[in-house]
Amino acid sequence: MAFELVVNGTRHTIDADPQTPLLWVIRDQVGLTGTKFSCGIGQCGACTLHVDGRAVRSCSVPAASAIGKPVMTIEGLSADGSHPIQIAWKELDAPQCGYCQSGMIMSTLALLRARPNPTDADIDAQITNACRCSTYHRIRQAIHRAAELMKA
Amino acid sequence: MSPTSIDRREFLATIAAAQGAFVLGFWLPLRADAQTKPGTVWYEEPATREVNAWIVIAPDDIVTIRIAQTELGQGVWTSNAMMVAEELQCDWSKVRPQYASANRDAREKAPEWTLNVPGNGAQDPKGGGVPTFGNRDRVGVSGIPDSLYRRMRTNAASSVKDGRYYLQLAGAEARERLLLAAAAMWNVPVSQLAAKNSVITHAGSGRKTTYGAIAQRAAETPHPHPETITIKSPDQWTLMGTEQKNLDVPSKVTGQAIYGIDVRLPGMKWAAVKTCPVYGGDVKRYDFEAIRHMPGVRFAVQFPIPDPALTRGRIFSGGVAVIADSWYQAKTAIDKLPIEWDIPPVNAAFTSANMRESLLTALDRPGTVRASQGDVDAAFTNATRIVEATYSTPFLPRARMEPGNATVLVTNERVDIWIGDQSPQETRFSASRITGIPETNVHLHLCHLGGGFGRNGNGPQAEHAIMIANAHRGTPIHMLWTREEDFIGTTYRAMGVAHLKAALDADGWPIAMDVRTAMQEGGFGPEASFHVTSRYHVPNYRYSNHTTNFHVPVGTRRGVGQAAHEFYRESFMDELARAAGKDPYRYRRELLARTNLPYKQDMITALDMAAEMSGWSTPLPKGTARAIALEERGAEGDGMATISAMVHTVSISRDGKVKLERVDVAHETGFGLVNPLSVKKQIEGQITWFYNDAMHQACTIKDGRIVENNFHVFPLSRINEDPPVINIRFFPTKHWLVGMGHDRATSVQSAIGDAIFQITGKRFRDLPYAKHDLRWT
Repeated sequence: MAFELVVNGTRHTIDADPQTPLLWVIRDQVGLTGTKFSCGIGQCGACTLHVDGRAVRSCSVPAASAIGKPVMTIEGLSADGSHPIQIAWKELDAPQCGYCQSGMIMSTLALLRARPNPTDADIDAQITNACRCSTYHRIRQAIHRAAELMKA
Repeated sequence: MSPTSIDRREFLATIAAAQGAFVLGFWLPLRADAQTKPGTVWYEEPATREVNAWIVIAPDDIVTIRIAQTELGQGVWTSNAMMVAEELQCDWSKVRPQYASANRDAREKAPEWTLNVPGNGAQDPKGGGVPTFGNRDRVGVSGIPDSLYRRMRTNAASSVKDGRYYLQLAGAEARERLLLAAAAMWNVPVSQLAAKNSVITHAGSGRKTTYGAIAQRAAETPHPHPETITIKSPDQWTLMGTEQKNLDVPSKVTGQAIYGIDVRLPGMKWAAVKTCPVYGGDVKRYDFEAIRHMPGVRFAVQFPIPDPALTRGRIFSGGVAVIADSWYQAKTAIDKLPIEWDIPPVNAAFTSANMRESLLTALDRPGTVRASQGDVDAAFTNATRIVEATYSTPFLPRARMEPGNATVLVTNERVDIWIGDQSPQETRFSASRITGIPETNVHLHLCHLGGGFGRNGNGPQAEHAIMIANAHRGTPIHMLWTREEDFIGTTYRAMGVAHLKAALDADGWPIAMDVRTAMQEGGFGPEASFHVTSRYHVPNYRYSNHTTNFHVPVGTRRGVGQAAHEFYRESFMDELARAAGKDPYRYRRELLARTNLPYKQDMITALDMAAEMSGWSTPLPKGTARAIALEERGAEGDGMATISAMVHTVSISRDGKVKLERVDVAHETGFGLVNPLSVKKQIEGQITWFYNDAMHQACTIKDGRIVENNFHVFPLSRINEDPPVINIRFFPTKHWLVGMGHDRATSVQSAIGDAIFQITGKRFRDLPYAKHDLRWT
């Protein structure tokens, strides 16, 4: 059954079972591989993207749930790395292996939209993505830096 | 186009047309610079002639530097490039790393001028250290003697240590040839030329040229005496030793970096696998008919236990793969596939409890004695006090974020493999053995790895994918493990126990120590931290290893032997200090000062600096405590070593919640760190890695199976557990470092244990701590 998704502002006709997790539709049908698979059960957050402005763990929601709602992935943030969060990430040299960072950045975007001036407690509560390299120390600084840049 | 009968040449042409991204060896020497898809990182035939095997300079001055180790977060993409660029004296902003070709590595010999290690070993600033893998033994699995890039493995925190002198030489050789080419062009003596930032200047005439302009001449200009080329010593470094951001980071904040999982080929099918959950088990039967009708399903392949000769003797499991148009279809189908397992009853009988018992029993059997000094037994009869303790550590997986995967195309002529891999030559060897196709026709296309944390953390991912693709030649197969399969496919840090026993004199100083550790046969790093001689002075010392046999495949998880053994050693030092009524920092310091260890002063400096940074003697609120520990590798000898000390400030709430509040790190630089920023990042990451180990992580065994096999039951620390304050200070020392990417911050483990003791009065000796009742009143 074909259905439509709007991803990063572009309309895509998807030929897949709408119950397929959104992650796999984005990676395989839409062809955007920045959003990662890691646990498959919504625990780690590597697959985080936005549906209708909210951060969603896309491995654990059906693609059907995004029909009629704008989807944004890491590729939609900016292709040239010019979004303030990406700039902050580069300034702090936050990634190590980098595999979790797309999800980490998309979670940060949701946090900063809800709380433009996040406290450390806000970060602790809202950024629940896992990073096995444990780059958290730089991620925390990068979130604060991104908050500054987004206000500027 | 039928995916199972795809013609080789048609396929290659299709790839080139569809993606313009793939240059497969010598078959399609497309112009790489024009064809590269953003994010691809594997070797491509250069559009212009290379200067040497490490360096290609394009007319626009872009310098491609080939990297023979895999970037998995440790920063090798950048530090290796820095070592080349330091000597090349090129414009760093125009450096683009790319993976070296594993095929060329096998095919070509290392240039003669890269083979002689300069200087006089680890304590010579003009030296190159001694590469661990300089003299390799054949066959395949161990690497290829004097191959072009010497070693393509990524392991043992050795990329900088082993590569430094010949990567510097590669940069220097290219620079000299660029200068020679310019000198010939201008007909001036080369001694009158200077090279800086990719520009060559002739001072007398003011003439200038760029590396890009002269590179093709340089490529045709051999160096008359390459054996005379020398490398810069640390006092001459201008790029090395400065903080450089990782060159791959921009691609990792846009989602463009290509990991193995991101590889897409025309006609590619996806494979999901299920292997026997008990290691050593195999498939008895399965019923493909039950799932044949499911959407996208193409076929199933049963594969055997990977040949232990390809997995260093480790016995994994046999399994079944379902191949479908998409991975999710394959995964959905295999979840419904009826499979009956053939499980060896002896393996199914293992549980964590009986394995621990077995290890404890092994401690009392004769073991391998690795140090024996004085008369330990006699000294114990003279003890004023005897202190003894038994510690244990669980099985631990790497659990890297990217689950195991590989994309493989087998035809009758050759094998192509796209993979993030820490042992490319071993993978080529496996592919050749499995398919019968000569190793020279096995082509690897290296991708970034989503975490490594131990060589062959990959486990048999490549072997699975090769076996599946070999069964359907002509179809590119992308095999991807589920997270649960990744927990079966990885190798584990061996479960361990240790019994430490010390005789103290009337003043509380040890006069004898007997250390016994046990892990299963084949466990890695049994000698770590205790061998040769005690790091802390004791006149009578014995150290022995004891083994037993388990069915879990074990490997080199981050920290290898040091991770568990420094937990045992430093925990015991805290216990001795407390038994002696002495300060654990000063107790350690005094015992180091009494040794004759070559780097004892460096160890003392590390302890002093960490203690001072932490405000060691200043009061803390109730419920908060500090603990200190030493971290060393190589301190038993006068070769390379890495030494650090950390003080951890830990709070515990009355309801038992542990918080690592602050970490003060004193870390040596040796003669110089190549990229201090990368070192800081590795230290920061390892702090929370080992916090995670100390507090939460364990894989237990029940009925022979790994119980914790996804992140709901195998907890990963999140940002809320990262210490708010990390202070890192470096101090110079006079030797080369052995590496620091995997066994720093092991001190978190003993430090939390001692903080728990200080705050709650309870001493726990088995990890992880979170399973214990940490409440206090």
